[in-house]
Amino acid sequence: MRHFHRRIYLVWFIAQFFLIFVVCCRDTLALLAKGYTISPAPLNRWWAKAETLMATLSGGHLRIGNPVRQAVSAYTQAAGIKFGYGFFAPNVPDSYKLVFELHYANGRVEYELPRVSTSAAGLPVATLIDSIGHIEYGPLRELTVKMLAYAVWREHPDAEMIRAVLGFVTLPSPEDFKRGVSESYQFLYAYDFRFDSADQSNPR
Amino acid sequence: MRMTLGLIRLTNQIRVRPRDLKPISSYELSNHTDTATREVVFLKVPRFVRFLFPRASDRWLTFLRIGLGVQIIAYCSTLLPNWRLLLVSNGNGLLSRDVNEAISTIESPFLPTLSSFVQLGNHFGLDEASVLVAVLFCLLISAACLIAGFLCRPAAITAWLLHLACVTSTELMSYGVDIFTTIGLFYLMLSPLPDRASLDVKIRKAHASDPRRLGFFQRVLQLHLCFIYFFSGVDKALGTGWWNGASIWRALTRPPFDIFPAVSVAHWSGFFTVAGISVFLLEMAYPIFIWPIKTRRVWFLSVISMHLGIALLMGMYLFGLIMIVLNTAAFGLSSNRSASRVFA
Repeated sequence: MRHFHRRIYLVWFIAQFFLIFVVCCRDTLALLAKGYTISPAPLNRWWAKAETLMATLSGGHLRIGNPVRQAVSAYTQAAGIKFGYGFFAPNVPDSYKLVFELHYANGRVEYELPRVSTSAAGLPVATLIDSIGHIEYGPLRELTVKMLAYAVWREHPDAEMIRAVLGFVTLPSPEDFKRGVSESYQFLYAYDFRFDSADQSNPR
Repeated sequence: MRMTLGLIRLTNQIRVRPRDLKPISSYELSNHTDTATREVVFLKVPRFVRFLFPRASDRWLTFLRIGLGVQIIAYCSTLLPNWRLLLVSNGNGLLSRDVNEAISTIESPFLPTLSSFVQLGNHFGLDEASVLVAVLFCLLISAACLIAGFLCRPAAITAWLLHLACVTSTELMSYGVDIFTTIGLFYLMLSPLPDRASLDVKIRKAHASDPRRLGFFQRVLQLHLCFIYFFSGVDKALGTGWWNGASIWRALTRPPFDIFPAVSVAHWSGFFTVAGISVFLLEMAYPIFIWPIKTRRVWFLSVISMHLGIALLMGMYLFGLIMIVLNTAAFGLSSNRSASRVFA
């Protein structure tokens, strides 16, 4: 192996692991700053400052159209290092649930869930519902829910109106569960959508 | 004579001229310190470089190549019945691909997307549905090539590119397994392919790779896994749920991971605390105990057991498979003792 090649590998190695370290630290500090952890609350603002510093190191302070930021972002996504690895951390979150109420002209109401034909593909769909629950920008959240509602309406074109109710499921503790307490559904958002046959050609 | 010459050289070196008798400035002092530091760094760098570039066999690369080929086929087979539903645009699927791509390319427009392939296909008169089928077909072909070891490098690049395009176009639906598959394919694409077990070497008589390059990329994978597990463990340890076992209970009963009835899971509630603490301790201590030969086997088997447990108890088969592939390629087949010497 040539010395020159070894130097190139070394430079790439340092850049790669610098980004991995910065991204992992940024995500851990974000958890701390949001107060989701066992860390004392007065420290949260210091964690937030440290998180900002880490975000700056990975180009997060640059404007969104900056070529350096775009290149770093593209590289980190292509290498699978855009996000940290805190899966199910610091705690396993509640799962979001999206229920569609299908209202028919004769007053009948049916209930539907977003579904796919195989159970294996159910995991991406569950991830999608969780992702929608985490969207903070209201219009984007409504757009994604509307698209899912439209997918349901295609199967039930007789429905006059579809009400999409987004909430999350709170699970009881093992002790409560043994005492007979069941899961509870917490309401978050509701949207009413009306589609007509003209939407078939231009659903958006 | 030689001794005399040596003495003259020595006296020349230690001769102090008047102009040398000025006080040492702080700048010069710092220069001296820098030189000393540089020497220490110089002494340590070869050790670090030796650690980064060990000689390694290509067995790990063979395993990674075949494992990722199987992973891609499993990924495609799970999405196959819903391929069009999940990836189509213009609101004809579950969620329009355009929305996913808009979100994922806000920060990085250079990323490959399925829409870019669709646009390319349109130039050749192919419609969207045909292009999506072609992408799936190419992904499966590249996976088959990876398993066989035929055209290893082009197959690895194709698999990485198409998988990345699928992940980018399903941003809101992608989860851990997609990230780890991307990591694996990224390193495979850069690694010194082909390996000796591949058809490229056996039939096409391609040259086998340099053992130091093989060692370098295995080391990169090993270190990356150490980062992954360490930060995963730290993040879990920061939450109360992993200390009191609540996270284990929730992970096993939370939809869509609730493949066992909650009644059955509740019977095991006495073990949740131990299991929760064990999980984050296992992960946090991974970078320490995976390197020494004495503890490597125990830690490796424990981590593999954890992933098998996640796969079987939570139904995350693809996630379990990719983590087992990455761990086995990194540490399962390593006979190299130099790393354990460095860290022991």
